[in-house]
Amino acid sequence: MIRKHLFRVTILLFFALSLLAQAPQPAPVKVDSDTVAGIGARNIGPAIMSGRISALDAVYEKDRLTIFCGAASGGLWRSKNGGTTWKPVFDKYNQSIGALRIAPTDPQIIWLGTGESWVRNSVSIGDGVYRSTDGGDTWINLGLSASERISAIEVDPRNPEVAYVAAQGPLWSSGGERGVYKTRDGGKTWERILFVDKNTGAASLAMDLKNPDVIYAGMWQHRRLPWTFESGGPGSGFYKSSDGGKTWTKLNGDPKRGLPDGILGRIAVAIAPSDSKVVYAAVEAKDGALYRSDNSGETWTRQSDSVDVMLRPFYFSFLAVDPKDPLRVYKPALFLNASSDGGHSFTIVGYSAHADFHPMWIDPINPERMMVGTDGGLYVSEDRGNSWRMVPNLPLAQFYHVSVDEAQPYNVMGGLQDNSTWRGPSKAGGGIANRHWSNLFGGDGFWAWADPTDADYVYVEYQGGEMARKNVKTGGSRSIKPQEGPGESRYRWNWNTPIMPSPVEKGTIFVGCQYLFCSRDNGNSWERISIDLTTNNPAKISNEKSGGLTSDNSSAEMHCTIYSIAPSPKNAKLIWVGTDDGNVQLTKDGGKTWKNLAGKITGLPSRTWVSWIEASPYAEGTAFATFDGHTNGDMKPYIYRTDDFGQTWKPLITPELEGFAHVVKQDPLNPELLYLGTELGLFLSLDGGQAWIRFSAGDFPRVPVRDLAFQTREHDLVIATHGRGIWIVDDLTPLRALKKDVLEKDVALLPSRPQQRLGLPFEGWCEGDQAYVARNAPDGINIAYYLKKRLLIGDLKLEVLDENSQVLDTPPVSKRRGINRVYWSGELKGPKVAKGSTPAFSAFGGPMVPEGTYKIRLTKGKEVLESQVQILADPRSPFTREDRVACFETVKEVAKMLEDMAYTVDRIADLQDQAKQRGNEIKVDAQKAKFVKFVKALETKRALFVPVREEGGITGEERLRDYLASLYGSINGFEGRPSKTNLDRKEALRKDIQKATDDAELRIKKDLVELNAILEKAGMKALLPMERSTWNDKQKK
Amino acid sequence: MKKIVFWMILILVVSVAGFTAEENVDQLIAKHLEARGGLAKLQAIQTMRITGKMMYGPMELPINIEFKRPNQIRIEIAVQEQTIVQVFDGKQGWSINPLAGYQGGKKDAQPMSPDETKEFEVQADIDGPLVDYAKKGHKVEYAGQESVEGAQAYKLKVTLKNGTITTMFLDADTYLDVKDSSKMNIRDTEVENDVIYSDFKEVDGMLMAHAMEIKAKGAPEGQKMIFEKVELNVPVDDARFVMPEKAPEAPKVPGVSS
Repeated sequence: MIRKHLFRVTILLFFALSLLAQAPQPAPVKVDSDTVAGIGARNIGPAIMSGRISALDAVYEKDRLTIFCGAASGGLWRSKNGGTTWKPVFDKYNQSIGALRIAPTDPQIIWLGTGESWVRNSVSIGDGVYRSTDGGDTWINLGLSASERISAIEVDPRNPEVAYVAAQGPLWSSGGERGVYKTRDGGKTWERILFVDKNTGAASLAMDLKNPDVIYAGMWQHRRLPWTFESGGPGSGFYKSSDGGKTWTKLNGDPKRGLPDGILGRIAVAIAPSDSKVVYAAVEAKDGALYRSDNSGETWTRQSDSVDVMLRPFYFSFLAVDPKDPLRVYKPALFLNASSDGGHSFTIVGYSAHADFHPMWIDPINPERMMVGTDGGLYVSEDRGNSWRMVPNLPLAQFYHVSVDEAQPYNVMGGLQDNSTWRGPSKAGGGIANRHWSNLFGGDGFWAWADPTDADYVYVEYQGGEMARKNVKTGGSRSIKPQEGPGESRYRWNWNTPIMPSPVEKGTIFVGCQYLFCSRDNGNSWERISIDLTTNNPAKISNEKSGGLTSDNSSAEMHCTIYSIAPSPKNAKLIWVGTDDGNVQLTKDGGKTWKNLAGKITGLPSRTWVSWIEASPYAEGTAFATFDGHTNGDMKPYIYRTDDFGQTWKPLITPELEGFAHVVKQDPLNPELLYLGTELGLFLSLDGGQAWIRFSAGDFPRVPVRDLAFQTREHDLVIATHGRGIWIVDDLTPLRALKKDVLEKDVALLPSRPQQRLGLPFEGWCEGDQAYVARNAPDGINIAYYLKKRLLIGDLKLEVLDENSQVLDTPPVSKRRGINRVYWSGELKGPKVAKGSTPAFSAFGGPMVPEGTYKIRLTKGKEVLESQVQILADPRSPFTREDRVACFETVKEVAKMLEDMAYTVDRIADLQDQAKQRGNEIKVDAQKAKFVKFVKALETKRALFVPVREEGGITGEERLRDYLASLYGSINGFEGRPSKTNLDRKEALRKDIQKATDDAELRIKKDLVELNAILEKAGMKALLPMERSTWNDKQKK
Repeated sequence: MKKIVFWMILILVVSVAGFTAEENVDQLIAKHLEARGGLAKLQAIQTMRITGKMMYGPMELPINIEFKRPNQIRIEIAVQEQTIVQVFDGKQGWSINPLAGYQGGKKDAQPMSPDETKEFEVQADIDGPLVDYAKKGHKVEYAGQESVEGAQAYKLKVTLKNGTITTMFLDADTYLDVKDSSKMNIRDTEVENDVIYSDFKEVDGMLMAHAMEIKAKGAPEGQKMIFEKVELNVPVDDARFVMPEKAPEAPKVPGVSS
């Protein structure tokens, strides 16, 4: 029976395939990440404030320290030199790191749990456990993907295939994979060995490395909702197993053991490595404290309950014990708390580091040395935390938003999680370093805008709507937060309060609490232009009750607020507003009347957070919106478009999309080109949202993308990632041209923006390997083209031509599928320089072509395509085009002089070779001597032109070639008209060179008569000086 | 019935896909060698000379590479007529760098460090590491598929005898080696780079790359090279590989004027 079916199926398949073969349809053009990867993207950091570090581990390999540093939403970084240089090793995977553990017996095996366990409101999500068996180069996902977050991993020191994983479970919903899991086969299979209920996860784990069957686990009942956080519940408990997780003893709830009674919250646990009977537990409870057991958990004694030690357990729940001293214990929290008396008393160390300490590593060989991960990066101490050194090259900035200004080069600015608001340049001399960034405000930063009416001012804010207009020159700032009037209900400002300048009225700004406000005088006064636009649901306005066992009302849980404001670029009176409780509101009359469109979006779960509304720049009735249900446990991406003022909405959701959605933007010049940022990366659509492709250009990681900005003058896209700083896609022009008709061509030249020259003084110096310097846009003239297929066999030639169709250069090409970019230096080839014993370094560069329009010719087989590229002069340049042309022409003239000299010197050297060879063959000694003498004489002539000493030291030997090369470099290194000194020098050198050349020629002419007569008599070939034409031919080879 | 057909197709598709995913290493190598022109032709190559240029900003540096069995290689790059020479003579590596120091000029040969030598030795193998890999002491593993510049490629993880790990990417359509991603240890420090090959042309019945880009891993751009001429079995004097005892005459780059 089965065979029969199989036979039929095979026939069917065969039939189908043969049909395909008979009628070959043109295969649909493949459009995917690779199609656009050639556009590139660059990370400009910053690293100065770094970002939240969530997990750490380190190991000595021989005498070198390898460190793994896991970021909250910036991936996994590895240093193989004790923290001097770092490399991201997990960019293809989830960027939220929860836990990591290097196998104690094999530093090549690293276990990694994704999903940060420090569950603040902005925390990201993970997708299970990974493992590397090659020191972190490659990774395999081992499942537990429904755990959402992993808080701890322990690896059996007897066998690195045996590991225990604390799965903390989903934060905003019940269920998922929670509890303690064990694998005995390297993660192929998992057994859940400790489980309480669907609301309780494993938040800590500690293994006794001396007796690896002994394990402690802290189980934690907790839940976050958009308007509250609840830590603690009957599910929480402290457990111990002494048989590798087969059986567990609950340590709390038995008064004899000495742990607190009643409901518990989050529990941190650590075992003293030097004496594993000593165990510490920081226990969140109504009257929580640090507890210590000196008998492997049998009984516990209460230690410090200071607020510093027991602060915010959901955020600070890590304990570390000195590797050599069991009574020296550390509790990272707001700062680092250190105890030398077994936890009885603590003092704070480490005020100089960024606040909010999470994971910690203490050097097992030298416990004076330690590392901590904070909200503001990784810090290293060599004196037990008394002083700290920040690691300045981990670019983990967690931006919430980004905007750009109009400066030249333009600046980007935006606010970050617990790291204020920063501004930095898109380009800087020598690259963008930490020193180029300036801190604009404080607290947690969010929206930031340059004031379009005055370049000295910016709008900035910190959490809860604390906004200001700040003078960036003087530092003075004025609070501009709207304030309640008499009897008015309290304003509710979101953690991430929207501030939005009007795209049509310079100087007008909008901000929103539950009401929308508008200011037309830079925030000096405000007009309330709406009713309460939220649901104003008392059940969801309960932030004062937030925290559970430990109060936590930081404004992070403020709800029923305006979250997105989108004033139309087409109409000043048309404003869209989105709220965190799911309202989409529209006014067409500047706020007099509002229409709630929330019920009109089919397929969207009710009350889903409106994460973004974007009013289209093309049509008044068109808008795009993203919705984010993750704080209700719904991780799906939602993106919609309306073309009728919100009456109907079309979903633009395809299976390619991953992660809950934060931001959508429509390209300002190509309406079909859409950009979507989600928690798991950036996506593009070339066809108005029918299909999406993941953006992976420039190795862009799977990082949360929270905001996008266009720099319209430069045609750049600026990407705000929450975890990996700012990325720039330089010049979107080729991407914008990637329309259907172009995609179907085998090869097409794509337009590029006019290339603005912008000189910047080189800054910086030798700063060692730890200095962070981000790349500028590639130097050179950007030429772009499209290939339907990767070109492996066959030529592709690119030429740059001047206005007379003279070929100036043939830059090497790339041949990838999709967009290709070639950066032409804009320089002609460097001059041919006379050969001496040393190189003439000053003549390495070529003449820089002046601004203008240049022709581009791309030849693929028989197909010849032509277009143009425009080079614009530096707008700040004090020189005219005539000045630059004068420079260009003079440089070419000196290049010609260098080349003429190269010929002269080659002519002499060639004649020396000929004379040497003839001299060797001649039998008569007296005649032989004449040849030797001639060679020597020519050598003194040659030595007038070029250095001839070969010893390699600092001979200081400079000859005519070097003087001329030096002049060449001097003129070519300056943009303007050559100085009189240089022009005079050129003429002086011309005369000296002529004289030296005439001298040499005279000698040649004189001696050749005699020598050639000798040769003729001997029947040998005459000495023949090389003609210029022969030399020219040789150069062409 | 319909349902059964559906499942059957699914099974067939899955099993076909499963087969390609688990490409056998030796099969892949055989296809790769076939794509290059076949093992016989490859092994008949006794010497090879490649002439071309390396792009270095606005400069085009003439480059000349000579191979000779067994395991000898000489690379010359000329900068303003100053020729940088790097040689592996089958046993040791040596180099001449007339650009060294403040003003350059010295043209004596210096021995290469053992780490550099062991990397260079690999380059000297005309056949490439896949031919007789086991005999050479290399290990080859299939490492899945990945896209290289927009085209699928099979990955072979080659652990060389010297410890260097090179992932070779064989184009899924042609089986040509389109990229090598290497991780080597120089002074116990990892150095990673990628080499991307393109512009394959036929030379005496063999397909050979005529363009190459070498870049540090993660760098947006690298050093591009264009090979204008690839010559097989041309006379190459053994003396070309012998380390000179004293400063020699400035070496001449064939095809480059001097």
